[in-house]
Amino acid sequence: MNNTLALLGLLGREPSYGYDLKHSYDRYFGVQKPLAFGQVYSTLARMFRDDLIMALGEESGGGPDRKKYEITLTGRDKVRQWLFTPDVPSETLQSELFAKTVIALLLDDDADGLLDAQRAEHMARMRELTRLKRDADLLQVLMCDHGLFHIEADLRWIELTSARLTQLKKELQSA
Amino acid sequence: MSLIDTTTPILSARGVHHAFGQTEALRGIDVDVHAGEVLAVMGPSGSGKSTLLHCLAGILAPVRGTVAYAPPGLNPVNISGLGETERSRLRLTDFGFVFQFGQLLPELTALDNVSLPLLLGGTKRAEARQRSEELLERLGLNGFAAKLPGELSGGQAQRAAIARALVTSPAVLFADEPTGSLDSLAAENVLTLMLDLVREAGTTVVMITHDARTAAYADREVIVRDGIISAGYRVPA
Amino acid sequence: MNPAVLKMALLGSRSSWGRMAGIGGGVAIGVCLVLLLWSAANGLAQRDARGAWLREMGQTSVNVPLAADGRTVNGPPEPIPLTPETILLGSLQDVFRDQVISHRDIAALPGATVKIPGIAAPPAPGQYYASPALQRLIESTPAGELGDRYGKFAGVIDDSALPGPDALVVISGATEAQLRQGPAAMLVTEFTTNPYGESAGLYRTALLVGGIAVLFPVLLLVSIATGLGAAQRRERFATLRLIGASPRLVAGMAAVETAIPSLAGALLGVVMAVAFRPAAAQIPVNGTRVFLADFTFGAGFAVTAVVLVSAACALVAARRTARTGIGPLGATRAMTEKTPTVWRAVPLLAGLAGMATGAVLTKVDTDGIPWTSALLIGGFALTSVGIVTIGPWLTRMVSTIGLHRARRASTVIAASRIRQTPVATFRSVSGLVIAVFMVSVFAGGISAIGTVETPEARPGLLLPTSVYALVAPAYTPGQVASVARSTKELAGIRDTTIGYAKTPLGQGDTMDIYIAANDAPSLGFGDPGSDKIVSFDASFLNAWTSTPVSLAAAPLVSLEGLVPVVMVVRTDGTPAAIDRARTALDASGVTATPGTSPADLAIMSNTRLIQGLAAHAYIGVFVAVVVAGISLAVSTAAAILDRKRVLGLMRLMGMPVSVLRKVIVQEAAVPLLAVLLLSVGLGFLVAWLMISSFGGGRTISWPSTEYYAALSFSLLLALAAVAATFGLVRSNTAITATRFE
Ligand SMILES: Nc1ncnc2c1ncn2[C@@H]1O[C@H](COP(=O)(O)OP(=O)(O)OP(=O)(O)O)[C@@H](O)[C@H]1O
Ligand SMILES: [Mg+2]
Repeated sequence: MNNTLALLGLLGREPSYGYDLKHSYDRYFGVQKPLAFGQVYSTLARMFRDDLIMALGEESGGGPDRKKYEITLTGRDKVRQWLFTPDVPSETLQSELFAKTVIALLLDDDADGLLDAQRAEHMARMRELTRLKRDADLLQVLMCDHGLFHIEADLRWIELTSARLTQLKKELQSA
Repeated sequence: MSLIDTTTPILSARGVHHAFGQTEALRGIDVDVHAGEVLAVMGPSGSGKSTLLHCLAGILAPVRGTVAYAPPGLNPVNISGLGETERSRLRLTDFGFVFQFGQLLPELTALDNVSLPLLLGGTKRAEARQRSEELLERLGLNGFAAKLPGELSGGQAQRAAIARALVTSPAVLFADEPTGSLDSLAAENVLTLMLDLVREAGTTVVMITHDARTAAYADREVIVRDGIISAGYRVPA
Repeated sequence: MNPAVLKMALLGSRSSWGRMAGIGGGVAIGVCLVLLLWSAANGLAQRDARGAWLREMGQTSVNVPLAADGRTVNGPPEPIPLTPETILLGSLQDVFRDQVISHRDIAALPGATVKIPGIAAPPAPGQYYASPALQRLIESTPAGELGDRYGKFAGVIDDSALPGPDALVVISGATEAQLRQGPAAMLVTEFTTNPYGESAGLYRTALLVGGIAVLFPVLLLVSIATGLGAAQRRERFATLRLIGASPRLVAGMAAVETAIPSLAGALLGVVMAVAFRPAAAQIPVNGTRVFLADFTFGAGFAVTAVVLVSAACALVAARRTARTGIGPLGATRAMTEKTPTVWRAVPLLAGLAGMATGAVLTKVDTDGIPWTSALLIGGFALTSVGIVTIGPWLTRMVSTIGLHRARRASTVIAASRIRQTPVATFRSVSGLVIAVFMVSVFAGGISAIGTVETPEARPGLLLPTSVYALVAPAYTPGQVASVARSTKELAGIRDTTIGYAKTPLGQGDTMDIYIAANDAPSLGFGDPGSDKIVSFDASFLNAWTSTPVSLAAAPLVSLEGLVPVVMVVRTDGTPAAIDRARTALDASGVTATPGTSPADLAIMSNTRLIQGLAAHAYIGVFVAVVVAGISLAVSTAAAILDRKRVLGLMRLMGMPVSVLRKVIVQEAAVPLLAVLLLSVGLGFLVAWLMISSFGGGRTISWPSTEYYAALSFSLLLALAAVAATFGLVRSNTAITATRFE
């Protein structure tokens, strides 16, 4: 999963300090593997360099832990780009999609749409595999089936999540 | 990309509304089905998929909106404007239907079940039986023609139902969860057999399914949510 | 059984209300009819008991002295004197219009002790007691046509001595001398109470046959009604089995589920029977109704019927459920019935064999009446059952042939369905088939009896518009001639003729009657030529004479010295004139027999009684056919409801409703027609067997038009029953029917 974009997305809600940012991140995504402070600050520095965020207020001379950051317009575009570009179905997709959904909900953006977009991508891939199966030998068919079942599992998750979006949003906002 | 294609569709629904008493099952559906394509209709339970299928097939007349059917090479007709008799006729001659289960007459043999639509259309019994037999054979039911539905497995019965739906060489095949009651392998067999036949004949298929792997056999899918079609999302430009 | 389970069994779904209503309704109709039939049987038995005294024949009133050889008559008969313990009774059948009046003339000594039914004391000569119905008739008719025959009204006869409220009975008083003049006065010491004479066996047989005929369709209706909604119920029971109900529990539930609506229906049936009793008692049997008090079923019988019917329904339901073997996965595969085999012909053949044996035995052994009647009735019942048993087999054969030749979709569907479930399909029409069988039996029986045709005027036979009476021996030609003259003055009377003979009535051995030649035309004879006196044989007077009697020239020059023996009154043929002639003759005092017209034969003969019985039978058949029609409608409806999902899907695929209707019609028509011919043929065969065992040299002939009417009525009703369910086809195969519940 892409930590940089997730952090950038979290900043999209409201300007915040690196310290707060780390805690938000940990709450939503870092249950099993919290982010190290160093990693947060280095990421912030990189984003600052790329003009995705900017520092707020007078303390611009202090260290990164003293600064409050705000997302720039470029940064916002980058987040949206990320959110709504479906990923190629893969093993690591799950956490990424999860992060995107959560960020979209936090940003009050169209989470439904991003799931639909992802579903379309998945379906396209499934159709491709299904077509491959038609003239394939049994071994290849088995390979394709393996892929199909995995994509299907994602799809089911997408299905379930989209069915639960309203509920999820409520929970995130009250948290 | 817009859902509505520019090539002439064989079925085209515009602003279709349907309600059962207070329940609004369809709330303004626009959809085009292109000749020769296999379209999957997906969506959560109770979202209105079956209702949409029934409207497209002229089983239900929508409360509002139109469904135009343009048989290849002929002028489009507004199905929703036809009387019940004409719609029945159309269903008999131009459409085929496959449902989840329980659609074979239990007291008729598989062969008689399949030849029934032909008989209804006025074909001679001998000829009807022969055509049905060929179709059953294509669907791998060689030895089962004389069996009653109660003596067939779910997959075999479903293949017989598909044979019955296709025996009149319909222009459009409507299927409501055709593999819903089958296991993966049986479902796959049934689907491939069915789709081989329809692709060969150029039959258009509208197939409801909640199963992604089944939908993957289609050329395209639409998703129905709360009585409307939710468009496949693309990043706003 | 757990009350919660019980509640579920009963209130399984909304549709089970409909089913329970159907069961209750069917049972109610059935029980109501059973009770009314029983009431009718009681009423008829009571009626016969009340009228039993009318059958009293008495003993002869004369002693005929015999010669020493004990065989030849030696001298004129000597009257046996009347005592206070005996009365003289003359039994006559009077005719008024087309009604028969039971007329009893009584002569008794003062202080006679013989108890005469229905009246306190014997009427004095010239007085009469009449049944209320007759008295009403007398009062509403000019005295010259009826009332004058009997004299002065002394009172009404009590109901206890009357068969029914419509009975026409008169007890009139006469002098001993008057009665002894007549041919048939008998001495009576006590009136009989045995209602049946020699024809009891026949009568009972006819009644039983009628009972079976009506009861059969009623039982079928009950059985069909309790099978309503079986398919739905099977599904529900399968679900229960799936969640762990034992087969015994399910069978028990089926029993309870059927017992409760059957019990309710049976109770409703009792209420209906009570309500309909007065109306049903109005139905005349043999021309008269029975007293409402006699038309009753008794509480004990009602309780027995209710208990038996509900228990039987419950048991059958439990057994059916247990036998279908509903497993957790439903009974879908058990839907196929056992293929009926030729064994189904056995009861029919056994029944026919029984009847044939009975018929032969009556010829061989005339004493074996109880035996043969048991064989006949048993054989008849077995034959009825046999038709129902062989029905499915025939139905299946026909449908198999039909399936091979089928061209149209509807025929394929119907024939396949029948082939798979011949028993169930046949059951729905079996009521009608049985009814047709019964109609044919009755029609065959009636055809054998034949009708006595109203005689036509033919020279050489007494004119049908004439009335004659034999003249009592004691009167002089002058007295008789004055009666003839006064009679001739009455309205509508053309002329009167007196016939003379050499010896008074009943004495001497010649049977020639002499008349003046100029009277010949008024008796319908042709021109007598130049003779003054002509004669003819006395058989001229008998209504049953069919070969014309010829007129002969008599070797006499005048009627002097002959005795008047008969007076013939020719009328203009109007009913009033004929009755005026009768009354004039009866009231004249010179006649020994009531005025009789050739047309009376048709009115008084046994034929009329049997035709009355036939009318009764047609009523029974009518009830049976209607009940069978209801059964057919119920089971056709059940056949639609049980298949509504599949039929709905077929319709959705584009099958027109009309094809579905054709399917429904054919499913009723095939079994009906397959067995109809058989039941018609068997009906006549059975009738022939019965008739030939009753004897009397009767033979079967072509049935009357009523038969064809009854047959057409049955078929029309079948059509109507099926058509009545057409509404269900459309509504129950609509798109909603295809949704899974
Ligand atoms: N005959 C009917 N009477 C009343 N309501 C109906 C009827 N048919 C459908 N509905 C309602 O219309 C809505 C859409 O039903 P529909 O059968 O089209 O759903 P579906 O998408 O096919 O669901 P599923 O996937 O469960 O089959 C539902 O809310 C349903 O309850
Ligand atoms: Mg559906």
